[in-house]
Amino acid sequence: MVLLNEIINTVLKNRGKEAVKDIDESFHLRNDIGFDSLDLAELTVRIEAEYNVDIFEDGIVNTVGEIIQKINNK
Amino acid sequence: MDLFYSDISKNQETTWEKLLDDLNNTTKYNPYCYQQDFYSVFKHIILSLLLEKEIVLLDSDFSKEEIQKLTGLTNLNKNIFPIIKREKQVINNKTELINRIKDTGSNWSMTLFTSGTTGLPKKVVHSFQSITRFVKTTEINKANVWGFAYNPTHMAGIQVFFQALLNGNLIIRLFGLSKEQIFNSIKKFDISNISATPTFYRLLVPYQDSFVCVKRITSGGEKFDEKTADQLKQIFPNAKFTNVYASTEAGSLFAANGNNFFIKPEMELFVQIQDNELLIHKSLLGKSAFSDSEWYHTGDIVKIVSENPLQFQFVSRKNEMINVGGYKVNPGEVEETIRKIEGIQNVRVFAKSNSVLGNIICCEVVKTSDEIDEVSIRSFLQSKLQEFKIPRIIKFTDKISTTRTGKIKRS
Repeated sequence: MVLLNEIINTVLKNRGKEAVKDIDESFHLRNDIGFDSLDLAELTVRIEAEYNVDIFEDGIVNTVGEIIQKINNK
Repeated sequence: MDLFYSDISKNQETTWEKLLDDLNNTTKYNPYCYQQDFYSVFKHIILSLLLEKEIVLLDSDFSKEEIQKLTGLTNLNKNIFPIIKREKQVINNKTELINRIKDTGSNWSMTLFTSGTTGLPKKVVHSFQSITRFVKTTEINKANVWGFAYNPTHMAGIQVFFQALLNGNLIIRLFGLSKEQIFNSIKKFDISNISATPTFYRLLVPYQDSFVCVKRITSGGEKFDEKTADQLKQIFPNAKFTNVYASTEAGSLFAANGNNFFIKPEMELFVQIQDNELLIHKSLLGKSAFSDSEWYHTGDIVKIVSENPLQFQFVSRKNEMINVGGYKVNPGEVEETIRKIEGIQNVRVFAKSNSVLGNIICCEVVKTSDEIDEVSIRSFLQSKLQEFKIPRIIKFTDKISTTRTGKIKRS
């Protein structure tokens, strides 16, 4: 999931926030990575462009692991 | 040689004499005007005026299906009728032609379709009086040369056409030409007046040369940003800048210097501002299907600058506001801010639907410097705009897509 890490850090960088190293599946998107709803909105667009899946389509996604699950289950 | 019309992209030069010949020799009339060539559209309109017959203007890029929906006709040629000699006297010269047109009676009407951002275009019918309300014919105006920078079947183009026609001015096509062709035309014909959308002007700047022949620059349809205005002033150092508020429904209504619009005393009773929206009294409108209520809601959001006398600025179009997680974003404001960045030539802001926020702000950017990237644009905007207004997806492109009227496309 190198690509997913890259996407997450692109969103952070665009927002002028510090990149996060060693992201693992347990990371919480808001609490650990520091995303707000605008960042999450951008994240969905970028993930959709790469993986063709809308991760928030059926409700809230909280952790990196849940995103990976969505991508794998598409 | 007294020229009536020219288009350098087609090597076309038409004199008034040729126009009169064409008019005098026409034997048939079709109320439906569906042509691509600008001169053909102009000639068609003049013929309708001389015959005092209805004319229906259709965009040359309407599809067959659209035409059928709008007119209810599958074949536009069914309504052609022969012109009876006594209906149309021979016209001998330009002055005679213009005087005849000025005498156009109440039988004449012009049907136009709004460029409608809401699906199918709306039909609007105008009389000679309502369409020429703002035409000024004076001795000074007789020497004008018009750069024609609108679609000839749209209201703005029609307004320019009548202003030029009734003053006997030469019309030079600029709409749809390349930047070089536009500047070549201005130089070749000493164009004195140009009326166009801000989008049209934005495509002209920056430019290394300047043209002293241009005396007046008029814009309308969108808000004009200061950066483009400043660059235009360098290209056209002798020009006065005017902003016009016009709509297909009402034609030209008021003008502004800079971005502040003012209402002339005689117009005060016909204009109202309600919940920041501009309302216009129905007596100023052409006849149309939706003018059944007393006041017409323009959908234009304004900001009052002073109450007495009334002055206001246009802020946005009502239906253009983008809802991002409950916050309203004016794409025009975002575009204006992005245009301030050095190295950005043009920008289009639009919405993309999003499962988190309802909509997300996106933009397309035309850049002239390699130093511009997504991060640099966003960091510039962070100090200028609220976070939810900043585009989250930025794409770089060579050309910004525009609507049929030459305004920036929002979807």
